[in-house]
Amino acid sequence: MSQETKHHRGLFGQASAILVYTALCHLATAIFPQAVLAQQTNPLASDPRAAAAGGVIFRAQCATCHGADAKGISSIDAPDLTLMWTQPGMSENRVFSRIQGGVPGSIMPSHDFPDTEIWMLVSYLRSVAVSGATEEFRGNAENGAGLFADFCADCHRVGREGGSLGPNLGRITLRRTQAALRSSVRDPNSTVGRGYKPISLTTVGGDTVLGVIKSEDAFSIQILDSDQRLRAFLKSELISLDRAIASLMPAFIERQLSETQLDDILNYLHQQQ
Amino acid sequence: MKQKRKLQLILGEMFNKPFFAAFLFIFPAMVAVAQDDSGPNYGDILQGFSDPSRWLTYSGDYSGKRHSPLTQINTENVASLSPVWTFQTGTTTRGRGFETTPLVDDGVLYVTGSNNYAWAIDARTGRRFWQYRRNLPEDLTYGASAPVNRGFGMLGNSLFMVTLDAHLLAFDRRNGDILWDVELADYRVGYAATGAPLVIDGMVITGVSGGEYATRGFIDAYDPVTGERLWRFNTIPGPGEPGSETWPNDPEILARGGGGTWMNGSYDPELNLIYWGVGNPNPDYYGDSRPGDNLYSNSLVALDADTGELQWHYQFTPHDLNDWDSNHMPVLADIEWQGQQRRVVMVGNRNGFFYVLDRVSGEFLLGKPFTGTTWAREIGADGRPIVLNDGSKGCVPDPWGSTNFMPPSFYPELGLFYLTARETCATFVPEEPSLVPGQASFGGVIFIDPEQGSGALRALDVQTGELRWEFTYPSPTFGGVLTTAAGLVFAGDHEGNFMAFDAVSGENLWHYQTGSRIWGAGAMTHLLDGRQYVLIPSGTTLTAFALPER
Repeated sequence: MSQETKHHRGLFGQASAILVYTALCHLATAIFPQAVLAQQTNPLASDPRAAAAGGVIFRAQCATCHGADAKGISSIDAPDLTLMWTQPGMSENRVFSRIQGGVPGSIMPSHDFPDTEIWMLVSYLRSVAVSGATEEFRGNAENGAGLFADFCADCHRVGREGGSLGPNLGRITLRRTQAALRSSVRDPNSTVGRGYKPISLTTVGGDTVLGVIKSEDAFSIQILDSDQRLRAFLKSELISLDRAIASLMPAFIERQLSETQLDDILNYLHQQQ
Repeated sequence: MKQKRKLQLILGEMFNKPFFAAFLFIFPAMVAVAQDDSGPNYGDILQGFSDPSRWLTYSGDYSGKRHSPLTQINTENVASLSPVWTFQTGTTTRGRGFETTPLVDDGVLYVTGSNNYAWAIDARTGRRFWQYRRNLPEDLTYGASAPVNRGFGMLGNSLFMVTLDAHLLAFDRRNGDILWDVELADYRVGYAATGAPLVIDGMVITGVSGGEYATRGFIDAYDPVTGERLWRFNTIPGPGEPGSETWPNDPEILARGGGGTWMNGSYDPELNLIYWGVGNPNPDYYGDSRPGDNLYSNSLVALDADTGELQWHYQFTPHDLNDWDSNHMPVLADIEWQGQQRRVVMVGNRNGFFYVLDRVSGEFLLGKPFTGTTWAREIGADGRPIVLNDGSKGCVPDPWGSTNFMPPSFYPELGLFYLTARETCATFVPEEPSLVPGQASFGGVIFIDPEQGSGALRALDVQTGELRWEFTYPSPTFGGVLTTAAGLVFAGDHEGNFMAFDAVSGENLWHYQTGSRIWGAGAMTHLLDGRQYVLIPSGTTLTAFALPER
């Protein structure tokens, strides 16, 4: 957390960012007198300073709901904006419209910012997008298909195949870098997302049920159990709820799955978008 | 003129129609009926809960205790409490809540909703008499980001509601017609209004939102008949006024110092004092441009009800850097304090401390933490916090606070104060903002640790501030609290449960899943045809509960 903070502060100080921002406003007004709205693409896309200036605007205007790192605040339904680019049909133009017009029926209001500032925000959001899409994939996708079926498909879905206990891995290479995916395979406990937190329940009848938590309130818990069946329990019917257990995903060490094989799987996943 | 306006109020639009006027002279019996149906007066509101078929002001009475004398639903039978009807509002505020407290009189509920909708509803069936929706401008500022409302004020046949474009409206409660409409402030620079107006003798009192924008807060009093403004208390002093010494000597900074007053206040009719919480200074997280304590931000102010003049103040969070508005319901009670009867005001504050103050003088009596994470080691004997961490060093309560505006409740016979506590962990990174009218200026960013968050209903001993019992929730919660003299506590949580607890032991006795988070609202209760109802707003619904009819 503090590292991220330093990163923001250190990369461009407040004063320089404001300067960049002001300069860009003038620049953009000079180059694009009125036609910015009609643009189908970001007119500032090629200017790396636009993202920095957009970051300043973002932290002043958007961070309260979307978080200082644009990763959203789940308790108020503010979405993680670093992942939005992987949504089908998402484009810079669409992001522009959402900032300008708001999202009807949601807390996201419309904004009467100058178009240039909105494009700066778009540039910023593009710059923080979590994506491995631009990376090079080295592996053999055909081998990867077989390996995926053997090692992953019991729990993970890609397209029409696979299980549902773990996250759907279709388009996953757009949302996460290869390094992050590699780390999840080698050490699944390093990050476990919402909806996949593991739990071990013991019922009053003495049964132990393993699963991932889908939802929970003070009186009940809703899980997908390790047999991939949706089950719900009243807490009054449980003897214990043990959250301090390892992720249900096994850790694959190199002896079980070599780096080359992992490359193959990653490329296979990348081909499946 | 005033007389004529009053008559107009009573007769509504009929007054202008000769046919109906003649009717009234011909049929005096009808006039008698009209007089009987003149609605509650100030004396009725003053009586508070003495007529349990009524709930006439936000907390049920002026004290803010939200403690009903009704006992039909009790610890023995509450387990069979069941929904009687559900009202669907059809309007929502994603990310916030249905924050209102319905008023009830003569079997009719008067309810405000999100996006400045309002309704009159049959309390027996949940069927609607009328609906009001304000045509709001498209360029709302603050009102767009939190399009909520916390309720009506009522006097006679008039209802009073504030709006997201910062107006105060008076309604004819019989048909929802607007009687008058006055602007509190210009919404375009960042004002809005969301609280339930407080009606006292001959006055409608309201505050205003805006502390996240470069605006200046105030508390206003209006004539209930004409809408004429009677007084204004500015929460940020003007140049040279008392309190201005706690700010830089710069009129521009004072004029946009923040200090919103968006939550309701309470009232002591004997002292004739209004108690009202004041919000954060602006910018929220960036304090370098406003060195000093920044009075009267983050304070409780006691105002003379006749004039709006400040009698005393107590500042909970001097020079706030964490958006810990002190917009809470001040709870008034007369309690024995160290062997003496004392008139006190109690506040569970967003900064994580529970306070007891003498409400005659404002003297600090007690300040104790009620959450695990705090920013101050303690409150010194002089009433000032001994600050350990202003938030820049990590892990203090988040900007939504250790509790917030969701109403707490005080149970006098038990001496227990019940509030919703939020356990959170946030780091604040201030940044100097640019100040643009109509745009929010938080002045920095926050990092909230998503792995560290939970909520709890907590019962505090008001003599010591110590925790008597708690019931924990899986996530930080925004639901309010109601207590009843039958030994019950009603509370709502973020997962949507509406619950009843034994007030003494904290045992959970009943719960009902409403389907949406209960956010900002506390339950209310009333008697109708001998049957006790408990109502809770949640998401897009208002649900009434009662014991099954035998």
